[in-house]
Amino acid sequence: MSDNIYQPNLMEVLQIRQQTADVKSVRLRFRDEERAKAFSFRVGQFGIFSAFGAGESTFNICSSSDWTDFLEFCFRKTGRVTEALWGIEEGDTIGFRGPYGNGYPWEKWKGKNLIFIGGGIAMPPIRCAIWYALENREQFGDVTIVYGARTVGDMVFANELDRWAEFERVRVVTCVDPGGETPDFKGEIGFVPTVVERAQIPSEKSVALVVGPPIMIQFTLPVLAKMGLADGDIYTSLENRMKCGVGKCGHCQINQYYCCQEGPVFTYEQVKPLPEAL
Amino acid sequence: MSELLDKTDLNRLVDAWLSEGRRVAGPQCVNAKDSRGQADRIQYAWLTKAEELRLDGFIRPTNSIKEFVFPRHEKLYGYQFKGKRLELTPAELPTTEQVVIGARPCDAAALKILDAVFNWDVKDEFYNRRRELTTVVTLACKEHDDFCFCTSVGSGPCDERGSDVLLIPIDGERYEVRCLTEKGKKLLAGATTASSEEATAPQGPPVRFNLDALGEFLAGGYDRPEWPEITRRCLGCGACAYTCPTCHCFDIVDEGSASGGARVRNWDACQFTMFTAHASGHNPRSDQSQRQRQRIHHKFQIYPDKFGELLCTGCGNCSRNCPVDMGVLPVLKTIAAKK
Repeated sequence: MSDNIYQPNLMEVLQIRQQTADVKSVRLRFRDEERAKAFSFRVGQFGIFSAFGAGESTFNICSSSDWTDFLEFCFRKTGRVTEALWGIEEGDTIGFRGPYGNGYPWEKWKGKNLIFIGGGIAMPPIRCAIWYALENREQFGDVTIVYGARTVGDMVFANELDRWAEFERVRVVTCVDPGGETPDFKGEIGFVPTVVERAQIPSEKSVALVVGPPIMIQFTLPVLAKMGLADGDIYTSLENRMKCGVGKCGHCQINQYYCCQEGPVFTYEQVKPLPEAL
Repeated sequence: MSELLDKTDLNRLVDAWLSEGRRVAGPQCVNAKDSRGQADRIQYAWLTKAEELRLDGFIRPTNSIKEFVFPRHEKLYGYQFKGKRLELTPAELPTTEQVVIGARPCDAAALKILDAVFNWDVKDEFYNRRRELTTVVTLACKEHDDFCFCTSVGSGPCDERGSDVLLIPIDGERYEVRCLTEKGKKLLAGATTASSEEATAPQGPPVRFNLDALGEFLAGGYDRPEWPEITRRCLGCGACAYTCPTCHCFDIVDEGSASGGARVRNWDACQFTMFTAHASGHNPRSDQSQRQRQRIHHKFQIYPDKFGELLCTGCGNCSRNCPVDMGVLPVLKTIAAKK
């Protein structure tokens, strides 16, 4: 059947990087050459990835849309499907459906200062945006990156933090929860909302992207508001449980939104009235 | 002028459809007497002969006809590992024409409503193929019980939505036949007799709540304190969703082993805790009252706003099958009274 919207494309695992004790990132390429050539996506969109025999899980595509030779996703070993994905090796085949969702509104972000705030395993959806912004540096103003994790060992894409800091007009602030530091850790100690407040990030002509655990987002939003950002200039990505990815199965529905179709990227203005969003 | 058909001819037609190779589903008696010796249960099911078809003597079947276009369990494709090589085999879609005979109008109307969600933006070929192969012959309801509320949600015993043919009973033995679509005309071509006699349209149940008042309540926000109060006794069993003609949530899972098997979709229900649970443990709807609120909001505000029609036909199955006397009607009556 040609129109099977649920049948994935097969992708070859090119590379696996263990990011933390329980997080890996995976680099993939379509087995089908034609599909590889035709594929494009918007940074901020997601895919549904299969480990056949275990099932499907939804992850953000954490590579930049400008990197056309492969795509990447990142996962934490936490359930049935991710346990199975944990065991895959380079050369193995996994399934991919997508890209799904709206992605980040780059047109609106052009010329703005960008504030990226991420917590823990939620860094992948920010990492792709950071690379996109840095590789299209002339289109954006100052870039501030605040990345917090529970411990130093929980930071994903830690090796890229220094590379980002080397770009012009980029400031990287890292933080870990109290007790999560190591003797050589040079970042701050504290929770993300507090660290954002302390960082005194200029908010003129700025947009912020905040992705992380709901509790982190809840406490960071008022800080951003206090800094002077309008609700419509604060973005988040709602990483809800999803099954179909195409607005049918009902799982990701939050109040009036199908996150898979109308999200996952929403402004704070949109999610503010929705008690179930965060 | 009208077209008539009598019961004997209708049964003959059903047998003819079956012998022509169509699949035919209709209400029939299943599980003769349960352990408590209670009356037989009427369900929509595949018929092997017209004799099994039951058209009267009950209010409505315990299930709905959605399973004939959206099966409870459906293979999406197969997967097979040969060493490290993986092959996917597409699911075979049905090719056999099927007829649902004796559908209740509240079931048939649901198909028309479901067409929207399975076709907005992305089209679901599994649903569409079965839908195209299906002709729905609906029987207008002469009777109703205290659970029926079709007339409160803009439907009624002669609702034509989703039907290809509508049969309206004249007496116990004869029906007025209204062919509503080309499919319906084709199916019943030459089977009916012209007559000057016309059936009287049955009235249906009285209006049980004010839909406008409900709309005002729902527009009033998600955090109303009434929700926990009204829905506290819900067990979260999902019986309402499984027997609802319009509920359409599903799960996608693998059945098989790491060497081969199939990816399938199964019905799911928004009343289950796991339905929205994140891998992290966070759950956007961690409380049963939130899940009930979602069900009502989805049916009476979200779906209508998006697709223009209520996601409810007033069949009353959610209440009939509810172990704690809930379902849509009692909740809506309470809400509409509170405003």
